[in-house]
Amino acid sequence: MTSLLELRAVRAGYDGVTVLHGVDLAVAAGQVVALLGPNGAGKTTTLRIAAGVHPVTSGRLLLGGKDMAGANPRDLARAGVCLIPEGRGVFPNLSVRDNLLMMTYTGRSRAEIEEVTYQRFPLLGEHAARAAGTLSGGEQQMLALARGLATDPAVLLLDELSMGLAPVVVSRLYEHVADIARQGVAVLVVEQFATAALSIADHAAVLVRGRVALQGRPDDALRNELSDLYMGSSR
Amino acid sequence: MSSADSRAAESRADRFARELAGLKISDPAAGHPRLWQRLGGVLMVLGIVLGATAYLVSHRTTSSLTQGDAITIGLGGVTLSVTGAAIFLRYSLTGFLRFWMARQSFELNMLAERAFPGPVRTNSDGRLDPGNHNLTKS
Repeated sequence: MTSLLELRAVRAGYDGVTVLHGVDLAVAAGQVVALLGPNGAGKTTTLRIAAGVHPVTSGRLLLGGKDMAGANPRDLARAGVCLIPEGRGVFPNLSVRDNLLMMTYTGRSRAEIEEVTYQRFPLLGEHAARAAGTLSGGEQQMLALARGLATDPAVLLLDELSMGLAPVVVSRLYEHVADIARQGVAVLVVEQFATAALSIADHAAVLVRGRVALQGRPDDALRNELSDLYMGSSR
Repeated sequence: MSSADSRAAESRADRFARELAGLKISDPAAGHPRLWQRLGGVLMVLGIVLGATAYLVSHRTTSSLTQGDAITIGLGGVTLSVTGAAIFLRYSLTGFLRFWMARQSFELNMLAERAFPGPVRTNSDGRLDPGNHNLTKS
């Protein structure tokens, strides 16, 4: 399977402080990869690098097989790299419909975007005229996902989808994410809370202090190792 | 198969790779706003220095030829100053306005949160439910 997104020996940091120390990661079309790890491990930085928002110090960022380190993030977004940041990034003072209207910059018509969105998320159709800031956290996350999907992404990067949401809402959102991946989108999910992400992931990597400490299929062995990494083990 | 058909047959992943393959990666250093801002500042100062030099040159001679040269240098200095000021303003104003817009957006959100501290109920048409918000008529 060809990887749509690949990081090879990526090192990066902020103001001279190295945060990532040679990260290797690959996501193929239709695959969900969960990037897990404790606070400050470098997960969000990895995601920002994949979106072209943060520069790499060394190493390679391969998108569609081409080294795109240093590419303009706007160009990457137009080609199909979509980052949904932590905190959802919706416009709270605008209505749901107007939030979706923002995505017409991609060249798709408002009617087309609304049709596809309301088909996938009927709840957003019911609240189309409401200000996004008055939606519940789960609905706002749904809107953020819908805005991402309106860009027709090939690579979807999700940062802390579960942040501040009830477990039942999170599991519903992850069902949508799995469905998106089944349509051929490469999905990289960054999560601090592993259970929900692992339930849909084809592959998982655990980042600890800027290094991939563990990766593989999300089976029981990996879950146990992960638990040890999180809780601290004497082994 | 027409080109439209072949595009339709192409998977999203293939189209993604094709679009990226055609993408030119520009030098990230090019168009660096801080660099341009500094260049504008340097040009402004250089223009003023040239103008002052031209004044001194023309003041210390009675030769009309030398004074003609000084006028040329002086005009060059004025041109440099104006160009430098334009570049400096362009890039410093961009930075300022970007910051101002972000601040406006943040303050609007803070205001909205202060005005509606709890969950806000709206009707199905998106209007505020009159019985469920904290705004009062003065």
